[in-house]
Amino acid sequence: MTITTASPLASIARPRRRASMRQWTGILYVAPAMALVIVFFVVPLIFTVWMSLHNWPLIGQPSWIGLGNYTRMFSDARFFSALGFTAYYTVIATIAIFALAFPLALFVERQRTGVGFYRTVFFMPVVVGLATASLLWVWLANVDAGVFSSILRWFGITGRAANILATFDSAFALIIVMVVWKIVGFTMIILLTGLQAIPADLTEAARIDGANAWQRFTKLTLPLMRRTLALAFILSITGSVLAFDQFYIMTSGGPQNRMISVVYYIFNQSFVSFQLGYGSALSIALLGILVTLSVVQLRLLRVGDER
Amino acid sequence: MSDAKCGMRLQNVRKDFGKVPIIHGVDLEISEGDFVVFVGPSGCGKSTLLRMIAGLEEVTDGSIEIGGREVTDLDPSLRGIAMVFQSYALYPHMSVRDNLGFGLSMANVPKDEIARHVAEAARILKLDALLDRRPGQLSGGQRQRVAIGRAIVRKPEVFLFDEPLSNLDAELRVSMRIEIARLHKELGNTMIYVTHDQTEAMTLADKIVVLREGRIEQVGSPREVYENPDNTFVAGFIGSPRMNLLNGTIAGKTIDIAGSTILAHAHSLEGHSAVIVGLRPEHLEVVTAEPCTLAATVDFSEYLGGIGYLYCQLADGQTVTVEQREGEDYKAGDRISLSWRPEKLRLFSADGARIRP
Ligand SMILES: Nc1ncnc2c1ncn2[C@@H]1O[C@H](COP(=O)(O)OP(=O)(O)OP(=O)(O)O)[C@@H](O)[C@H]1O
Ligand SMILES: [Mg+2]
Repeated sequence: MTITTASPLASIARPRRRASMRQWTGILYVAPAMALVIVFFVVPLIFTVWMSLHNWPLIGQPSWIGLGNYTRMFSDARFFSALGFTAYYTVIATIAIFALAFPLALFVERQRTGVGFYRTVFFMPVVVGLATASLLWVWLANVDAGVFSSILRWFGITGRAANILATFDSAFALIIVMVVWKIVGFTMIILLTGLQAIPADLTEAARIDGANAWQRFTKLTLPLMRRTLALAFILSITGSVLAFDQFYIMTSGGPQNRMISVVYYIFNQSFVSFQLGYGSALSIALLGILVTLSVVQLRLLRVGDER
Repeated sequence: MSDAKCGMRLQNVRKDFGKVPIIHGVDLEISEGDFVVFVGPSGCGKSTLLRMIAGLEEVTDGSIEIGGREVTDLDPSLRGIAMVFQSYALYPHMSVRDNLGFGLSMANVPKDEIARHVAEAARILKLDALLDRRPGQLSGGQRQRVAIGRAIVRKPEVFLFDEPLSNLDAELRVSMRIEIARLHKELGNTMIYVTHDQTEAMTLADKIVVLREGRIEQVGSPREVYENPDNTFVAGFIGSPRMNLLNGTIAGKTIDIAGSTILAHAHSLEGHSAVIVGLRPEHLEVVTAEPCTLAATVDFSEYLGGIGYLYCQLADGQTVTVEQREGEDYKAGDRISLSWRPEKLRLFSADGARIRP
């Protein structure tokens, strides 16, 4: 009796054990990655949320204030002006980067002599750290020792030594130029991979179909690069929204404090004013904004429904 | 279609890639409505030649005329051609309908007219049910039909095909081949077709162009290139299994092949000391030993049902393939004698050129 009931059970149990074995192996494989994500993203995130619900001075006891930090945000004019400036910077920087990266990608896509050289040259600034690049450009823009000032004077654009970083518009323009110089090679490489993924046959078929270069670009290249474009846009926009180094190093927040980006503002709140709780709340808000922006972009570029 | 006589004319067409010459002066005339097939070994320049006709590849030298019009430096879209690619090259982000109509919309044809042309092409190729799908949602055969449909919609004077069926499985190839033949009959256009496949070449072509290393070796009807090859290359390339090409030496008025003496029949051997004898496997017959037959030893035999092949060796190691429709079975090591009807023998000089009777 016991034997007859035991044998069917055993035959069921064996495959189940094998399935659970396989599950454990799977978990084992993803464990290192999971550990990294948990230690360096999930735990800090939870801790930041926790901090954001407190009044958390650098020294002294934190006190629970619930959503106080979040409600405070909505009446914080400086936060909104930081948001406004960041948005302005993001739009201008992204447009500038793409306006240059696309032609460059098209240029280095063709097999031409020296194409490897051009790719390397355009990509080189990418490997320089942003802070280092900022310092370099501050020096280049220096009133007395800088190169730009002498060049401007040489061409008669300015009469005397010009301080580019002294007014908002010229300082902003300089930062945009610096960022484009620094980032454009990276965006170019991303776009290049997208361009190269388009089979030559398609372009040739379109040529036979009578599409001119512009039509081929708009009707073939762009739609076929949707995923690549989404990636490039998200990286570029995220990078711009998180901009900090260049404003901190090059203009220290700019003439009349007009160059305070959101991250800069968070930095000020946290480590200058020591309001760590409020800084955390701002960080969470920024995270929310970035996630929303990315989701909207993926939707707009309809990544996912293809083929 | 002003000049009804001339579908296409290539004059001394050359192509260099960098410093490397790939096409060495091709002259070719194609009459309107002909189905012309380019065949040749891989890398011989078939695609390059086709792409030059399409205008996708620049011509280094020479001229191309289509329908009596010089098009050598004309944009591909203005040449009156349409091309079907091996990879289909359908626009993946467009519906079948938009794929078919793309060329017309680029030419600013009114929408209702595009719809009419698309509907007609869809009817010819039985694509009606698929018009709203994306290429990714189609089978290989359906994609190929869409690619052909896109060519039809352009109403070209000349259709160009670059190995259009090589991505399809064997069964589909046969049915698409028949469909292309039907299309040619129905539309009556000039068609140029590149292929590796002997069956496709023989069944579809009005005219076969055999290419080797950027040169035309022979142009002729399937029957001509098969039965009357101009040289050993064409003789060996067309036909499967390939023609036996046997080295022989001249001994007076006869030819000596590995110790067997055979007759040259109507051919004149004057001025030659060595020749190449061409005999197709299906023209060889196993006979009882007698003078003027070829002595061979069976290496191994294959029975395919209906026909069989004997792979034999001559005394000097040259190999001969024999097709057998009936008769007894032979085993490895059997000594046999081979004979043929005199008119089936093809003779070539030692450098490969045909010696005609
Ligand atoms: N863009 C190119 N640059 C340099 N050489 C090329 C180029 N395209 C083709 N070739 C060379 O030209 C020769 C002919 O190529 P082609 O593609 O015309 O051959 P094919 O006859 O179509 O061969 P297959 O049957 O394999 O398709 C080859 O030796 C190839 O290496
Ligand atoms: Mg080819």
